Amino acid sequence: MFDPNRSNDVKRLNRPFTKRRLGRLMLVVGVATFVGVLSIDLVDVGREGGIGPVQAIVLAGCVLVAVVGATLIPLGDRPA
Amino acid sequence: MTTTVQRVLLGLALLVFAGYLLVYVNYAGALFAFPFDYDQGEGFELYDTLLFSRGEWPYRNNETYPFYASNYPPLFHVLIAPLVRLFGPQYWTGRLLGFIGTLINAALIGLAVYRAVPPPAAKGAGTREITAVLSGLAFLASNTIYHIGPLFRQHMFMVMLETLAVVLLANFERPDRPARRRELALVIAVLLAAGYTKQLAVMTAAAVFGFLFLRGPLRAVGWGLVFAALGLLIFGWIDLSTGGQWSLNAVAANVNLYIPGQARDLYIQWFKLHGPLIVMAGLLLLYEAYFDRISVYGVWFVAGVAGGLLSGKWGAGDSYFATAIAATCVMSGVFAARTLTGGWRFEANYLTRWAQKIFYRRGAEPSDKKRYPFASAVRILVPIMYLAYALAVRHISTEGPFWGAVSDLLGMPANTRYAFHDSAGWVMGYATIGHSPTAADIEAGHRIAAYYDKTDKPILSEEAGFALMAGAQVVTNPTQLKNLWENGLYDPTSLVEMIDAQEFGYVIFRAQFYPQPILDAVARAYITVEVIEMNGFEYIILAPKEDGGT
Repeated sequence: MFDPNRSNDVKRLNRPFTKRRLGRLMLVVGVATFVGVLSIDLVDVGREGGIGPVQAIVLAGCVLVAVVGATLIPLGDRPA
Repeated sequence: MTTTVQRVLLGLALLVFAGYLLVYVNYAGALFAFPFDYDQGEGFELYDTLLFSRGEWPYRNNETYPFYASNYPPLFHVLIAPLVRLFGPQYWTGRLLGFIGTLINAALIGLAVYRAVPPPAAKGAGTREITAVLSGLAFLASNTIYHIGPLFRQHMFMVMLETLAVVLLANFERPDRPARRRELALVIAVLLAAGYTKQLAVMTAAAVFGFLFLRGPLRAVGWGLVFAALGLLIFGWIDLSTGGQWSLNAVAANVNLYIPGQARDLYIQWFKLHGPLIVMAGLLLLYEAYFDRISVYGVWFVAGVAGGLLSGKWGAGDSYFATAIAATCVMSGVFAARTLTGGWRFEANYLTRWAQKIFYRRGAEPSDKKRYPFASAVRILVPIMYLAYALAVRHISTEGPFWGAVSDLLGMPANTRYAFHDSAGWVMGYATIGHSPTAADIEAGHRIAAYYDKTDKPILSEEAGFALMAGAQVVTNPTQLKNLWENGLYDPTSLVEMIDAQEFGYVIFRAQFYPQPILDAVARAYITVEVIEMNGFEYIILAPKEDGGT
C-alpha cells in the first residue's frame, strides 16, 4: 500500500543538506575525531613519544572542521 | 590601467607556463628513448603488461619459481597490452600512455575551470579562457606531476580518470536539476576504472559520494551500494580466476610500515611548492562554504588533501599528492577566473554584516565603486599568484646546448646529483628523478643486460628491464616479496634454497629491497664481480662463489 506519510519521510531523508545540518555534522565529527585521536595515546599506553607528526596534522584538521562546522550553523536553512 | 597591468601579467604567466610545458615535453621525449628502468619498478609494470598481452594474470604464487606477482590493479596494463603485443615489451608504450594521460588531465582541469565560471561581461572577455589554460598548464608545471607524468606508472592515469569522474559529475549535477541515472552510471563507471587502475582512487570515490550525500543522502547511499557491488563483483572475479592471489597481492601486500615524519615532510614540501595555488583554492572553499553551495571540486580538494596522509607509507611518496594537486589547480583556477571576471556574489549573512563594518568606507552607497576598495588590487594579485607558483616550482634540465644555455641564462644551475635543477629539494619519499637519461646510461644498461648472454641459468635481478631486453625470464618482484614477508605472508624457503644451490647465473642488485633471508642467502653464495652505474644508481653484479658458498 502506498503510504504518503512514509513517502514524505523518504523525501525528507533525501533532502539536500542545509548549512545548519552540515555545520552540526562537521562539529560532531571534528570533536569526536579529535577525542578519538587523542585517546590513541590513552588506550595504547605502550606507545612512546607522545603526539606524533601525523597525529598533530589530524588534530589540527579536526579543530578546523569543528570551527568551520560551528560557524556554518548560524547560516540556517541555506543549501549546503 | 589596472586591466592593462593585469593582462600583461597574465601574458607573462602564460609565457612562463608554456616554457614549463616545453621542459616537460623534452623530459618525456628523453624517457621514451630510454629502454631500461628509469624509476624503480617500471620494469615490473612492463612485465605485467606483457603477461596481460599473453592473456595471463600477473597475480601469482610468490613462493614458487619465478617468485613473481604484481600488486597493481590491471586496467592500465590491460590498455597498453595491445601496444606490447604489437611492438614487444617496450618502455615507451606505458610512458606514452602516462604522458598522454597528464595532457588529457590538464585539458580536463582547463575545461572544469571554463565551465565553472559564467561568461563575463565584455570588459572581462578572454580572461576566463586564459585562466582555464593557466590552470591546466599549472598542473603540468608541478614538480610532482612533471617527474612522474611520463613514467611507465599507472598513478597519473588514475589521476586522469579521477579528474574525469569529478568533471563529469560537476557537469551533470546542475543547480536546476540533479544528475540523471545514466549520467551517474557513467560517473560510477569512470570511478571504478580509476579504482582498478590504482587503489588510491578511493579518496576520489569518497569525495564523489560525499558530494552526492550533501545533495541527496538516500541517492548517495543507493549509488554507493551499486558502486560497492560492482567493485566487489570485479574483485571476486579476479580473485577466483587467480586462486586468491589477487587479494593477497593487491591488498595484503600493500599494507606497509607507516612513517609519520615522511607524511609530515611531504605535506610541508607540497605546501612550499604549491602554496599560492593552495591559498586561492582554500579561499574558494571558504567562499563556497559560507556564501554559495559547496561544489564537487571543493569536496574533492578536501579529500585529495586528506589523502596526502597516505604518503607516509613505506614506498609511497610525493606522487600521493597528485590528486590534491589536480583538485588544487581546478579550485585555484575557478577562484582566479571569478576574481578576474567579477564573478563573486556574497549573500547577506552574519559574515557580510561583519565585513561591512570592517571594510566598507563610511558613507559609501551600495552602488559606489569605492565600496570594494581592494577589488582592483586583488585582480592584479591573481596573475602574481600564478607567477609566484611558477617561481616556487622551478625545474629544468641543465644538459645539452639548448637546455644548458637556457638554464644558465635563468640562473638555474644543476642542484641535484644529475644535470637537473629542481627547486623542491629533497625530503624522504620525494622521487629524485626528473633529469634526462644519457647515452652513457643506455650503454650501461646494455652492459648489465649482456650478463644474460654469459649464462644459461636464470638471473635473479632486482629490476625486470634487463631480463625483458634479453628475452629472458623475469625472476622475483623484490618489494612485493619484502612487503609480504614483513606481513608474515611469504615463506622465502624455496628461493633461499635456489640461491644457496647457486641455481642463478648471476644476481643483480640495486637497492637491495629483498626480504632479509634472501639478502643473507645471496651474501653466503655469491660475490660481487662488477658494479655498473646507470642513471645515477650503482647496479651490483654478483656471481656464484667458486667454493659454492660453503
